[in-house]
Amino acid sequence: MPLQPRAGGAAGAAPARWSGPGTVPQLQSVFLGRCAEFLALLRPELRDKNCTAIWEAFKVVLEKDPCSVLPSDYDLFINLSRHSIPRDKSLFWENNHLLVTSFAENGHRFVSLSNVLYGMVGDFLTWCRQKNDSGLDYQSCPTSEDCENNPVDSYWKSASVQYAKDSSGVIHVMLNGSEPTGAYPVKGFFADFEVPNLQKDKVTRIEIWVMHEIGGPKLESCGEGSVKILEERLEKMGFQYSCIDDYQAVASVQREVPSLYAGQSVSFIFPLLVALASVAQM
Amino acid sequence: MASHRFRVVSGSENEAFCSKRAKICLGVFLGLLVLVAVAVVLGILLGRRSPKHQQWDGKGSTANFREIVLGRCYTYTQLVHPELSTDCRKIEKAFINAFISKDPCSATEEDYVPLLKLGDQTVPCDKTVFWSKTKELAHQYTWVQREMFTLENTLLGYIADDLSWCGDADSSEINHESCPSRRNCSSNFVSVFWNLLSKRFAENACGMVQVLLNGSISNAFDKNSTFGRVEVHSLQPTKVHTLQAWVVQDIGKTPRDTCSGSSLNDLKLILSRRNIKFTCQENYR
Repeated sequence: MPLQPRAGGAAGAAPARWSGPGTVPQLQSVFLGRCAEFLALLRPELRDKNCTAIWEAFKVVLEKDPCSVLPSDYDLFINLSRHSIPRDKSLFWENNHLLVTSFAENGHRFVSLSNVLYGMVGDFLTWCRQKNDSGLDYQSCPTSEDCENNPVDSYWKSASVQYAKDSSGVIHVMLNGSEPTGAYPVKGFFADFEVPNLQKDKVTRIEIWVMHEIGGPKLESCGEGSVKILEERLEKMGFQYSCIDDYQAVASVQREVPSLYAGQSVSFIFPLLVALASVAQM
Repeated sequence: MASHRFRVVSGSENEAFCSKRAKICLGVFLGLLVLVAVAVVLGILLGRRSPKHQQWDGKGSTANFREIVLGRCYTYTQLVHPELSTDCRKIEKAFINAFISKDPCSATEEDYVPLLKLGDQTVPCDKTVFWSKTKELAHQYTWVQREMFTLENTLLGYIADDLSWCGDADSSEINHESCPSRRNCSSNFVSVFWNLLSKRFAENACGMVQVLLNGSISNAFDKNSTFGRVEVHSLQPTKVHTLQAWVVQDIGKTPRDTCSGSSLNDLKLILSRRNIKFTCQENYR
């Protein structure tokens, strides 16, 4: 069962030092449980992986100043947890985390970064040491607004690089064409850490899907705006690419469920079931 | 009599000495061989007589069962439903204690009472979703309709989903090699758990409840499924006024069962006898 985050956190009395949510309580148990679950249920052939060792490698960042954690601090963690990604199954994305998770079907249909071990253990979690003390900060943690070298961003940079390097065959990218700041963020995880690390000798072609919110604005589509920038960049890098607006299979999952794009309107259950059923046929 | 008269005269003094030594060596060697043979035989016999765990038809307990249970409990209570206040360490302990050191075919509902008490949870009215032979679809539905609950969206269902577990009467360890299948015995710890949890889930339901049924098999409503055996009969007419059934079929294939089919008629009959209204919708046109 994929987990799903809910809004809300502890109401603190003193103002928080940082702008992001604090370390998730029982971080170690959640981490170890997810690692064990991944190996036992999703990829049992990876039984040589040692969750305790992976945790030990990860937790070194919990001893560092929360604004001095570099992506390279996760090198050993990545080394111990990396594994192969099935060909043609990689799914990159920007600004549609929940839709991607739903569409990827827990790694069965596609394998997004949240479906590989080194992405799954940290998905939706936050962690950091206190600024001036050795314990963990459960009240708040720095985001990129506070400082660049924070534990969570550095984790995702490191994981993104590895994920891109290990991807092969047909590469899929899902972008949000209703996002006001641009479907393809020219400064973002995909642009800065994933695209540069796609392996020319392993990637056959890149397929871009530009999805639009139901009833939402079609701010950008294939060949327009920032999507055009991505297309030109890929061409310059020598990649074969194609682009589809509102890719049908994803649209089926998206149909009648604006809540996936943080809308709150009520959906009709019935057409949703039809849509889900049709997607299940793929 | 002179004892020395029958001394064997076979060659030189040296030769006689070697053969004596050889005999001693041979004797010692044979003795050792016998000892080793006895040890091996004993080892085999003892090993076979008290195996670490009994052998069953079903797959063994999930690897790292305790860590998964604990991790899932924390994920659920901290990230999915933080409004629940539960001590996950106690839950893990109650879960393990339910089946450890017990004959894996001797499970009863009483074994799970402490666990169910700790994991007690009320699903809001009109939000209960049952499923039968439509697990993936039902979960996709509640993934996008986040206020709806299948059994696996409740704390205990979430923790136990897709896991297997059993122990042994003679051991305090979890049996990872094999666990009894339903064919071995019906009162195994996994079956009893899900029957009990399903019963409670249905007993606690209120308002309008829904069920997703599979119209691509011959009996969308199966009397032998958990839904048919346990859940339908545990609904409380004082709390549940309507059961809405959705019969969904694989796209592009002719449906095997529909709302007007006989199995759905059976379901309608059962519910009308219990004073619960029944409505049905299907997606085949």
